[in-house]
Amino acid sequence: MGMVTLSDDMFTADVIADPYPYYGRLREEDPVHWNELYELWVITRHDDVVWMTRHHELFSNAVFRNDPRPAYPAIDESDLGLYEYVRNYQADQFIQHDRPEHLEMRKVVHSYFTPRAMEAWRPFVQKAVQELLDAAEFKGHMDVMRDVATPLPVLVIAQMMGVPAADRPHVRKLAEKLLNIGRGEHDRMKPLTEGMQGMIDYVSPLVDERLVNPSDDFISVLAAGEKKGVFTRHQVLVNTSLLLLAGHETTINLLCNGTLAFIRHPDQWALLKRDPKGCAELATEECLRYDAPVKSLQRLATQDVDMRGKVLRKDDRIRWFISSANRDPQAFAQPDRFDITRDPNPHVAFGSGVHHCLGATLARVEGQEVFKALAERFPSLHLETEVLEYQPSITFRSLKSLPVAWS
Amino acid sequence: MTRPLRVWVDRRRCVGNSMCEALAPAVFRLNANRQSEAVNPAGDTEAKVLEAAENCPVSAIFVEDAQTGARLFP
Repeated sequence: MGMVTLSDDMFTADVIADPYPYYGRLREEDPVHWNELYELWVITRHDDVVWMTRHHELFSNAVFRNDPRPAYPAIDESDLGLYEYVRNYQADQFIQHDRPEHLEMRKVVHSYFTPRAMEAWRPFVQKAVQELLDAAEFKGHMDVMRDVATPLPVLVIAQMMGVPAADRPHVRKLAEKLLNIGRGEHDRMKPLTEGMQGMIDYVSPLVDERLVNPSDDFISVLAAGEKKGVFTRHQVLVNTSLLLLAGHETTINLLCNGTLAFIRHPDQWALLKRDPKGCAELATEECLRYDAPVKSLQRLATQDVDMRGKVLRKDDRIRWFISSANRDPQAFAQPDRFDITRDPNPHVAFGSGVHHCLGATLARVEGQEVFKALAERFPSLHLETEVLEYQPSITFRSLKSLPVAWS
Repeated sequence: MTRPLRVWVDRRRCVGNSMCEALAPAVFRLNANRQSEAVNPAGDTEAKVLEAAENCPVSAIFVEDAQTGARLFP
């Protein structure tokens, strides 16, 4: 039996800086690995991740409701009450449900995000990208994180929510507090709960208003779900925040990790520059595969499941690693190569199965438009730092900043 | 008036989200790989089939007029 001598500490500096060798070794040596330290199964092969995502009945997504174990990385003892608030908040997200409830909830929001509906947002995204890049160009340098990747998804989401222009700075501030969901600092619960409660306070009157005067915005869609009895009021409020909790950090990571991949692979950057419009679609898929925005997701086993000679027991915690599955040589030729012409590209950056990312098409549109615009406007883009740091998270692959310049 | 449809699912794209099966269960069914198949294009109204195609999150469903070959979706 191939015993893995790797440490079970998934938060060491080297694993956070570059997770690929660590999870790659697990994938080779022990693809269904029991991590003693965090008491969870670590799944790293592409075929296993696809199989598990498609067997939602075996792996519950009601994690916050049903997993009594404490937050990790650890939080301040004085913040345990705040963590309870976060758990109750997250538990009301529609994604934190299983069938049959999940299907009824997803049906309410699903049609809002169809590929055709999201394609209609492309002109808005294009305009927002150009305005953000105009401001950056004027300065002569930028932090891709702060100047483009962070504001862009909030501009889009605020518009989807029907937030009046005057309120956007407030929503942006709340959005930045909500980013603590994916952070590792021991004192992250305070700003996170401020963001969560702030969203509830801000959205509540909007819901009241949309119940009386429905519009074509996302809050009206959720309010209609309340009218039909699918959502409680708390669920409407929480699922409005979910747009930011699920759609902000993830998009930031796609935009930053993708931009960094281009900077580090000048041959692929040259390819994109030759035909930005023609390359943007496949290139975005490769960015999603090569350095996926979400590294791993958690589930709870609903019954005993045999996998590769191991038995996952009912209620065991499971984390499947998208970032390892996306580098599995069984699924991808030369998996560690960044190749923007890769096709087909069956990456699992958006998951698969019934919980496949609701915002996938929107993320794709944002990625395509940003990579295309960068190639067109800043062909000499280069890094302006020697040191890049990542957030200490096993969920998100998040840079702390991405300073760049051009000549 | 009903016209016969040709409906198929691109297996390279299908992620088994199963919204098509939820919307038109007589037309679409997940196979052993948990990917969708159009098992009976005549199982529901044209409107339902088109709604299912429209709601596929990865645009994997294609619909044609079986007689004329005219593309109805996408």
